[in-house]
Amino acid sequence: MSVHAVVIAREMWDTRDLVGPVLDANGAVKPGAVSTRFEPQDLNALESALRIKEMVGGKVTALSFNAIGDVDVLKECLYRGADEAIRIGANPIDLDTAAAATLAAAAIRRLGDVNLVLVGWTAAEGESSVLGSCLAGLLGMEQISFVDRIVEAGDEFVIGRRAIEMGEEDIRVDLPALLSLGVALIEDDPRAPRPAKAMLKLKHKKTEIPVWSPADLGVPDPASNATTVVAAMESVPERVIESTAVDPEDESGLKAMLERVLKGE
Amino acid sequence: MSEILVYIQIVDGGAGDVSLQALACARSLADSTGGSVTALALGYDIGASVADLVELGADRLLVAEDDRLSHYLTGPYKRVVRSVLDANRFDVVLFPATTEGNDLAPLLAAELGCGCVVGCDAVHVKEGKTLFRRTEFDRKVHTDYEVTVGPAIATLRDGIADIPALGERRGEAQSIAVDLGPADTRAQVVNRDVVPKTVNLKASRVIVAAGAGVGGPDGFALVKDLAEALDAQMGATRAVVDAGWLPADHQIGQTGVTVRPDLYIACGISGAVQHWVGMSDSKTIVAINTDKNAPMMKRAHYRIEADLKTVIPKMIKALSA
Ligand SMILES: Cc1cc2nc3c(=O)[nH]c(=O)nc-3n(C[C@H](O)[C@H](O)[C@H](O)COP(=O)(O)OP(=O)(O)OC[C@H]3O[C@@H](n4cnc5c(N)ncnc54)[C@H](O)[C@@H]3O)c2cc1C
Ligand SMILES: Nc1ncnc2c1ncn2[C@@H]1O[C@H](COP(=O)(O)O)[C@@H](O)[C@H]1O
Repeated sequence: MSVHAVVIAREMWDTRDLVGPVLDANGAVKPGAVSTRFEPQDLNALESALRIKEMVGGKVTALSFNAIGDVDVLKECLYRGADEAIRIGANPIDLDTAAAATLAAAAIRRLGDVNLVLVGWTAAEGESSVLGSCLAGLLGMEQISFVDRIVEAGDEFVIGRRAIEMGEEDIRVDLPALLSLGVALIEDDPRAPRPAKAMLKLKHKKTEIPVWSPADLGVPDPASNATTVVAAMESVPERVIESTAVDPEDESGLKAMLERVLKGE
Repeated sequence: MSEILVYIQIVDGGAGDVSLQALACARSLADSTGGSVTALALGYDIGASVADLVELGADRLLVAEDDRLSHYLTGPYKRVVRSVLDANRFDVVLFPATTEGNDLAPLLAAELGCGCVVGCDAVHVKEGKTLFRRTEFDRKVHTDYEVTVGPAIATLRDGIADIPALGERRGEAQSIAVDLGPADTRAQVVNRDVVPKTVNLKASRVIVAAGAGVGGPDGFALVKDLAEALDAQMGATRAVVDAGWLPADHQIGQTGVTVRPDLYIACGISGAVQHWVGMSDSKTIVAINTDKNAPMMKRAHYRIEADLKTVIPKMIKALSA
């Protein structure tokens, strides 16, 4: 048995340095208010999959949905070394996690021989995500969540390390399994999953990514699998912080500031 | 009517704080809609330490004890909770939004085909509907979710409710059978490195926290000196804990503790959302950072754009003068 890993790559709202109101008057996300990026944790999931492949051989397939912004995460996966990419022909914004997971699970089943699924744990826009868990439940796979890095991998097992509330632990799981990855990972350079390679960009310039429609996947009406609805969205009143710059060179200013804050002002 | 199950996470041999808050939340939900609260605790040799859960709000307490449950692992824990969900009818199932709760809750929801909302800051009832509120988009948007396929499963964040004083309630405690097969133990912990608690940051009024910006032992020592000069406890980001400069119980944030001190001094901390969520309720925030655009600087009451190695000695001097 060799490893066939599927990575779920998500294009997500980029919430770094988010300024100004996100919602319009009707409480919907303003078009253009937030740009998108390759969810960093999914990049880590991809990196982990590629490293496992390098360790034990096998294949990496990237799976995603229709693009919501300008980033084609599937091409990005190919540029980094994924063997194959498949697009699920549905708009992820219209689906809740349960519905999206139903489609992803159907695509993974259709691939046939998948024995490892890797996904990012959180999605920045919501600080936590349930896609991995939903998938594990639907596929009946054992899951290890919050994995920070892959410690060891073999043909039939993976050992992942994860942070827990008061430390960390290594968990060995027999394949098939699903791992959800956090952001702080991969020993030698935690923040640097490999970049896109020029060679691969050239190679995949004309690669057509197959699109599997919900109907192809036997889930003609994915929205019917939704289990939650958004009842309301509202902007959080900005916590008005009167921010004062303190001059680091001015010792008496520093002293006055410290006195003020210690008095609770 | 809401029949509510609350999953109690065992922390240091007793019910964890966030679980107790979830229990309090369940109690008020049940009191307002008419219904009852069942608490469920899993572990090994925990019976005595969870006995007061009925005084804290549970009408019924279920305890599952087995040596295979002595540490959390998804497989066996999921099996036991699932057996309770299969044998009873619940409308709402609440977990603490901890690593453990956020791991279990969505998995159970997927198996049962019901809805799940993780990381809720509030639960409220509106026009007869139970709504689960999350904060999204970098804490700029509140979203209320309604679960359309029950039972509604949710994980609740630290701060969701106050833990009540021990009351007069009398509920029944009942131990439940644990029935595990080989399929439930396919994953194994091969190594665990957990440190015993050394500080109680939650009770600290002044916290001086170190981030990766300390750069090394020298910078770290300066932050420590500042904490001592202020008679403060030291907090840390995960980067600092991962570097081994402080034990894990100093970590503040999503996978650490949530603190609400009067004064929080962030030294070389970028202010990643996973850290921010653990300290954003601090009354006064002071940030020291070389990068004036770091998120922490934009949110601090007082921002000092400087190298901490030069400014902290000045602050210590000012304090001793
Ligand atoms: C599931 C999970 C839970 C976490 N829980 C906690 C927690 O409880 N407490 C906590 O403090 N942290 C937690 N973190 C880590 C958190 O995301 C930050 O990494 C951490 O807070 C940063 O610490 P710092 O401010 O000391 O240093 P740094 O963040 O090192 O400073 C961050 C700098 O790195 C840059 N950066 C970020 N990403 C990249 C990138 N991909 N490439 C290049 N540069 C980048 C940013 O621009 C920023 O200036 C958690 C992370 C995850 C995934
Ligand atoms: N010597 C320093 N003093 C104050 N802040 C710093 C210092 N070095 C780095 N920082 C900030 O601390 C955070 C973490 O640093 P880094 O890990 O280098 O990204 C960043 O926001 C930096 O801008």
